[in-house]
Amino acid sequence: MSFFKRKKQKQQPEAEEQQPVKKEHLLEQIDIYQNKLASSDQDDHVPLFNMLGSLYFELEDYDQAIHYYEQSIEQNKAMGKAFTDLVKLYNIKRKQASSENDRDGVQYYLQKSDELMKLTKDTIRGNM
Amino acid sequence: MGFIDFIINSILTQASITIALIAFAGLLLQRKPFGEVLSGSFKTMLGFLVLSAGSSIIVGSLLYFGEIFSEGFGMEGIVPSIEAINGQAMNELGLANQIALTFLAIFIFNILLARLTKWKYIFLTGQALLWMATITTVFGSAAGFNGIGLILVGGLVGGIFAVAMPAIAQPIVKKITGSDDIALGHFCTIGYLFAAGIAKVVGKNSDSTENIKFPKGLGFLSDTYLSVAIVMVPLYVITAVFAGSEFGTVLSGDVNYIVYAFLQAVQFVVGVYVLLSGVRLLLGEIVPAFRGIALKVVPDAKPALDCPVLFPYAPNAVTAGFITTTIGTVIAMFVLPWFGLAMILPGMLTNFFAGGTAGIFMNAVGGRRGVLIGGIAHGFFITLLPALLVPSFNGLGFVNTTATDVDTVTAGLLFEWIIQPIMSLFG
Repeated sequence: MSFFKRKKQKQQPEAEEQQPVKKEHLLEQIDIYQNKLASSDQDDHVPLFNMLGSLYFELEDYDQAIHYYEQSIEQNKAMGKAFTDLVKLYNIKRKQASSENDRDGVQYYLQKSDELMKLTKDTIRGNM
Repeated sequence: MGFIDFIINSILTQASITIALIAFAGLLLQRKPFGEVLSGSFKTMLGFLVLSAGSSIIVGSLLYFGEIFSEGFGMEGIVPSIEAINGQAMNELGLANQIALTFLAIFIFNILLARLTKWKYIFLTGQALLWMATITTVFGSAAGFNGIGLILVGGLVGGIFAVAMPAIAQPIVKKITGSDDIALGHFCTIGYLFAAGIAKVVGKNSDSTENIKFPKGLGFLSDTYLSVAIVMVPLYVITAVFAGSEFGTVLSGDVNYIVYAFLQAVQFVVGVYVLLSGVRLLLGEIVPAFRGIALKVVPDAKPALDCPVLFPYAPNAVTAGFITTTIGTVIAMFVLPWFGLAMILPGMLTNFFAGGTAGIFMNAVGGRRGVLIGGIAHGFFITLLPALLVPSFNGLGFVNTTATDVDTVTAGLLFEWIIQPIMSLFG
């Protein structure tokens, strides 16, 4: 058992060091994709929105992640990561609102989640 | 005394008023502005009355259908519709107050169980809880419970289902979603696990459904009202033809008997439309309040959401599961009468949502082959279970209908096969 403990203790500082590096990398990526979005003259921004949503989610900037995913769905209601990540994001925000005793926030994100369920039903009808 | 008697005998016996009063108390407890309390209570009462109106339309249409079906085929044809069961239980059986209170009791037991046990699931699909409250009240009352006992037993059984069903589905849901944060709150879970079990056995190394290209154009079948119409219209018309013009004209009067059958089928759809509008109004005020309270009391809760939560993970599996489940329900429709059971007509709406979700479960463990074979078995299973409840529903006075949603049906069977015999042991 002591072997595993020692190993874990050794790994911890390395993991801590990796955090800022990872964050820096994500911010760099976000910068690149935001520039691409700004300079893009194509009509279809969905892949860029999804990429930005995903990067912000990883960065734990949930509001920005929701912002980009919602834009993605608004432009093209294709079943996929935007839908699946949005459910998770609304749940995270609802949890945060719960822990802050923000009653309106809880209802707001539950409502958002309901709307997404309805949109999913409608979208799958359109896709069939 | 006269005034109290008036309140007890003339006001509290009116289900629409007591249900509105429950909403009134709930909204006051949440410290809502008085205007919202009043409008919320009124909407709840309105919801109940609209639901009752929908139920009367459905019953009228089903009575007609029952007569022509027995005349035409010499046997009983049963329409699976949990909406019709709910409407009849609330109105014809006079169980509205008990159902409303059991519905609240299920909420409370759900919160208590999520708070006190390791099953941290809060069931957020309000409509499914109303169907569960209907069945536990109907079968609890048939088992001999009444008063507060009926509400507590119904609430406890419903509350256990509300945490246990998401819990047993969670290992596969986790596999599908790749996360443990979201759960599935849909009372067809026993069917999903049954289907997934079969898919796992038969579907080893089978490729995923997501690589299949399906023809488009099936979407209309998932529309609530069209899907009901698509089954009911041909069914009523064909049955009327078999019943013959002489018998049909007795019921249709001056109208041509085939046209009358067509119009009665459309009346059924209208009834479902009206009833579901009522349910939406009825739940619109109560459910958000419950959710807020539940998620406050159980901060680490996992929300159990309606089945579309899984659709984006495997949209092809939804279509495949819907088709294979429908095949299974059609097979069961013809096979079950050989075994002395009633003929259960396919419920396209259940086939879509339960079949589609089962498709995702089956695909996750058994790929295409799993969805094909498991789906047919699933269709058979979700027809067999409601068929087992038909004698009880008939005995209780329901008209040509049975419940859908296998978990809800299982709760009914639990009362009938286990709780009722225990109750009769104790006299």
